[in-house]
Amino acid sequence: MTAMFRPRPTLMVLGLLLLLVFWLSLALGPVSLPLSDTLLAGLRLLGVPVDGSGTQQAELILGQIRMPRSLLGIAVGSVLALSGVAMQGLFRNPLADPGLVGVSGGAALGAALAIVGGSLLGGVPPAVEPYLLSVCAFAGGLVVTAVVYRFGRIDGQTNVATMLLAGVAMTAMAGAGVGLFTYLADDATLRTLTFWNLGSLNGASYQRLWPLLIVAVGVALWLPRRAPALNAMLLGESEARHLGFDIERIKLELVICTALGVGAAVAAAGLIGFIGLVVPHLMRLLVGPDHRVLLPASLLAGASLLLLADLVARLLLAPAELPIGIVTALIGAPFFLYLLVRGRS
Amino acid sequence: MRMTTLLACAGVLLSQLATAADALPQRWVSAGGAFSEWVVALGGESKLVGVDSTSQYPRSLHSLPGIGYQRALAAEGILALRPDILVGSNEMGAPPVLEQLKAGGVRIELLSAKPDVQALEHNLTQLGQLLGNQAQAQTLLDGYRQRLQSQAAWVKQAQQHHQAPRVLMLLSHSGGNLQVAGKDTLAAWMINQAGGQSLGDHNGYKPVSVEAMLALDPEVIIFAGGRLEGDAARAALLQQNPILAQTRAGRDGRVVVIDPTLLVGGLGPRVPDALSMLSTAFYPSAQAQTAEIKR
Amino acid sequence: MLRAKNLLVRRGTRTVLADIDIELRAGEVLGVLGPNGAGKSTLLGALCGELPASAGEVSLDTRPLADWPGQARAKRLAVLPQSSSLNFAFSVNEVVGMGRLPHASGRVRDAEIVAEALSAADASHLAGRSYLALSGGERQRVHLARVLAQLWPGAVGQTLLLDEPTSMLDPLHQHTILQAVRDFAGRGAAVLVILHDLNLAARYCDHLLLLQDGRPHGYGSPDEVLTAEALEAVYGLQVLIQQHPERGHPLIIAR
Repeated sequence: MTAMFRPRPTLMVLGLLLLLVFWLSLALGPVSLPLSDTLLAGLRLLGVPVDGSGTQQAELILGQIRMPRSLLGIAVGSVLALSGVAMQGLFRNPLADPGLVGVSGGAALGAALAIVGGSLLGGVPPAVEPYLLSVCAFAGGLVVTAVVYRFGRIDGQTNVATMLLAGVAMTAMAGAGVGLFTYLADDATLRTLTFWNLGSLNGASYQRLWPLLIVAVGVALWLPRRAPALNAMLLGESEARHLGFDIERIKLELVICTALGVGAAVAAAGLIGFIGLVVPHLMRLLVGPDHRVLLPASLLAGASLLLLADLVARLLLAPAELPIGIVTALIGAPFFLYLLVRGRS
Repeated sequence: MRMTTLLACAGVLLSQLATAADALPQRWVSAGGAFSEWVVALGGESKLVGVDSTSQYPRSLHSLPGIGYQRALAAEGILALRPDILVGSNEMGAPPVLEQLKAGGVRIELLSAKPDVQALEHNLTQLGQLLGNQAQAQTLLDGYRQRLQSQAAWVKQAQQHHQAPRVLMLLSHSGGNLQVAGKDTLAAWMINQAGGQSLGDHNGYKPVSVEAMLALDPEVIIFAGGRLEGDAARAALLQQNPILAQTRAGRDGRVVVIDPTLLVGGLGPRVPDALSMLSTAFYPSAQAQTAEIKR
Repeated sequence: MLRAKNLLVRRGTRTVLADIDIELRAGEVLGVLGPNGAGKSTLLGALCGELPASAGEVSLDTRPLADWPGQARAKRLAVLPQSSSLNFAFSVNEVVGMGRLPHASGRVRDAEIVAEALSAADASHLAGRSYLALSGGERQRVHLARVLAQLWPGAVGQTLLLDEPTSMLDPLHQHTILQAVRDFAGRGAAVLVILHDLNLAARYCDHLLLLQDGRPHGYGSPDEVLTAEALEAVYGLQVLIQQHPERGHPLIIAR
């Protein structure tokens, strides 16, 4: 066996793990709620008519703070991990990251434009303001990815090597744009920009959640349909073509899924690194490279890991909180080094 | 048995009524250095249950739970402190977090971080009311106004005999790049109030090359650095940027070190003292007059 | 059945392949020979639609190759590239199983076919191993098993294109693998195989195409194509041609 564990039981364990972490994410927080209150509030939120006296606080914290936050965490974590799988399949490289096609860089540029540009113009209409950042980040990610994809198109075919280099170049250009906005920013907006770049699930609300949920569900339903094609792509593009796959279309679909997924995730929660790189890598070690198992496993593990990281982020320095990007990098980077060392021996 | 429960209920009701009448917030969270200082000055330090990362003065605030940076507040973290009120500037956020806090029954009191006396008047009046200490707030405000007025009068007099010095305000963290205070900063306001002419022509704090600083040729440099104070900070500045010693300020040894926490979150209680310290540095030969006017 | 008519391929202004007029017939093995850069792999690329033809056409079962929908084409035409860059830890079974992706023959039948194809490529003992742990020659056999599985069991109307399938094999396996290819053709499939070893070509191919500078120098039976003059003209190599004492096909010996 090339995988460490058999696929089906592993998926079940990962599913149970996600349920457990989801429960922890609802049950734990800086405010310590008695278990009975949590359960009662949970029942009431589900519409069960139980005695609600004394659980208003618990209902608020559970329903308005922890639940949207946990759902956001699941959506962001799973979409980042799935995009990582898609990109590693597209580039046939287990070290590919969803940011390679420029979506993260573009989103960061869009966000910088919204944060700094908005304040340079002396503010934006209040009706637009709550959505401006997300919309700009999402649009920035899509635009830069589209440009990168366009550069990769040569004679009606997508050359992924060219696309990779175009992604590097466009990310650098977007970085220059962010740098320019950083320079133009005043102190307060600079801080906002810095914090945004580190990502956070803080302030999640249902209004901000649903666009991402739609995208996440779409990606989570679509990518597994392409699992056989992704498997064939790993053999090589021409091999996949000889196996009957329309690989130009598949490549476009993978890029679109990643751009939409990562774009929406970044728009909702800022830049969160390492999930898209580490989770697919780890899952490949556990269940093997077969995408029919790898995709669902990465979805479950990505969601679990992000929820766990968020728990650390909000509990470690409570009542303040750590940007989640710091936590994921702190967990992800040493783990990655461990993989490197292990691979060498 | 029944009687006791009834009594207990009545007791609870009464105590609730009592708190309703006496509706002053008892548990305070402050998100802003200057606001925290004013709360302390108004005798409210014991009511503070949490402060943000800019509330560095007085040092006793360090022992309070920290709620992080004012623009990246955590809703549940703050709710865990069970505060009645959160004071901060309109830069405080993110907006959804404030909504969640409001839903959790926390009163959000927005104060102004603008460096002007009107804003201060509004802030102090608000804080005085909320702390149940209007009288002291009025006294503090009157005293503050008076000191600013005498400061202005003194500067006017000093400027009859001396030209306003050209002043460069530098900010540096842990030996990083020097940043120059621009025209819209509290630092520029303070330089102006102290009778100096601020040389920063941009907005905010921006890195400026030492060569450009040499060209600006300031007569006085104000330096706000990290942990170092006084002579140590001055020496460190000139050691790390030897070119600055070639400016007039460097040659004449006119480098003034101030506490960077003064510069955050609007006018705080320590500003008048800092102003008179600065103006003394700006007009060293006018010192005698200072004493006269202050009397 | 794959047919190329007046095939011409240009790269930029340079003509890399011209005057190709060949037909892969059911049950027959066509060997393609030629020195490095003669256009062998270009021919294979043009025959499978990888390289666009500048002129002429390639048809599969009388229908232009480009008109075939991917899946239907994959059930009739399988291609083994010269080398593979698979860099993921699939098991050997999984790699060979990918040959079954165009089919909907069911998990059980697929497993049987994978086992039979592995056996044909003399790689049954590798079945559970990780692909990445294999040697170059073992990998080559696994990929051959994969393309065999794609067309298994092989029938009239199917075409198999192989680009140097024996380049990394030991002498014994060069023969077992080409014998397996022969057997596969024996069940009705048409096979094109690019080879470097003239003797292997002489022994296992029904027809040979000898390429020089992108043009056919000879096209016919091994006896017709493998002449001392032709080989000297194409390879610049002086050879003696003898007859195999048992099998009768030409034997090429360098002088």
